[in-house]
Amino acid sequence: MSQVHIRKDQIQKIALSTVGFVFLLYVYFNFFLGPLNRSRNTMLTAMKEKQSKLDSSKSEMSKAASLEQQAKTATTRFAAFKALNPEGAPIAWFPPRIKVFFANEQVDKAVARLEGSFGFKQAELADWLRYNWVINIPQADYARLGKAIADLENTEPLLSVTKISIHSLQDQPQFQQVDLVASNIIQKK
Amino acid sequence: MALHLNLLHEEILEHRQRQRDPLKIGIMVLVSFGVLMFLYYMWNAYRTLEIKGRLSVVERDWAKVEPTVTAAQKRSTELSNIIKTTRVLDEYVDNRFFWGPFLQKVALCIAPNTQLTSIDGSVLEDNKGIAVSIEGVAAGREPRAAAEDLRQMLTEQLAQSYGDVKVEFKALEDLDTIVNVSGTNLAMARYTLTVGFNPSPAAKTAAASPSPRPTRGPKQ
Repeated sequence: MSQVHIRKDQIQKIALSTVGFVFLLYVYFNFFLGPLNRSRNTMLTAMKEKQSKLDSSKSEMSKAASLEQQAKTATTRFAAFKALNPEGAPIAWFPPRIKVFFANEQVDKAVARLEGSFGFKQAELADWLRYNWVINIPQADYARLGKAIADLENTEPLLSVTKISIHSLQDQPQFQQVDLVASNIIQKK
Repeated sequence: MALHLNLLHEEILEHRQRQRDPLKIGIMVLVSFGVLMFLYYMWNAYRTLEIKGRLSVVERDWAKVEPTVTAAQKRSTELSNIIKTTRVLDEYVDNRFFWGPFLQKVALCIAPNTQLTSIDGSVLEDNKGIAVSIEGVAAGREPRAAAEDLRQMLTEQLAQSYGDVKVEFKALEDLDTIVNVSGTNLAMARYTLTVGFNPSPAAKTAAASPSPRPTRGPKQ
């Protein structure tokens, strides 16, 4: 059997080769393969993300189309709600409208004044405000008044009478003095 | 056995040592590994380029549909908001209390020997009910009985349309005044009625099938 004798200079050369090998691995993984893999992984992630967006876009489109169909009634109704109130500050158009309305119902001298306006807690009504009005009618006949109030409630769906006060007049008991508190929902302009 | 003399012993040993030089072997190993790693790197680079190509295709496709999808998403959100808002507004409209029918019912209960002097009504907070205070005078041989008739009539009439109806006397007092009704002198009593009820009908009515949105008003 022959024995392998390794000299000192050979050990140095082996050590040098090992260092060179480690250095090669370090350079390879840190400066070549590592960045390449990172960039590939980034691209893969971006591609998956875009692909999932593309896939979901089809369902989004079909969902939007079906929602458009379903929401036809709602949009029509919403437009009708919006159309109930004209442009401009409510204080400018609501009192005259009420005056004309009651005058058409043969209830004269109806005066509406604004008591206040408040926002809603519900997120759905963030664009809407509640206006509280006090409607004063100095003299009215009970039957006509009842009909007028019923007509008001039917023609103004977003108006709700919250308080009603009817008092007979001392000198003319066939007539009543009326105070109504009504709240009206109006979209913010 | 023949004698074999190796005269080139040193040269051969030197040749062998040159062949077994660790540095040379190390360099050969390094070069081999380097070539393998280079090939592996090239393979990876090829795959990366391929992925880059696919990514650019997907990005092109997405860029084509993105404006439409964004618009569709925006429209979906808008429509959802409209649906929700309309639902809340519809609930508000449906949950309103209509005073017209109530005033009509009160009018139906008033007999010729009773008179109302005031009605004060209000919708309680959060639509918890309706509270009404009715004041008036009643005339008759038994004016208190006339007032009681009115109370009972109101209870009966209101219970037809509303739930949890309560009509109670807050005050009922005889008056010294005598009134002449159809040529007969009658005693008078003043009453104050407190009326409370729930605008939604009683349970048996509520169980009935839903009807279209009502349009309410006093009958002509």
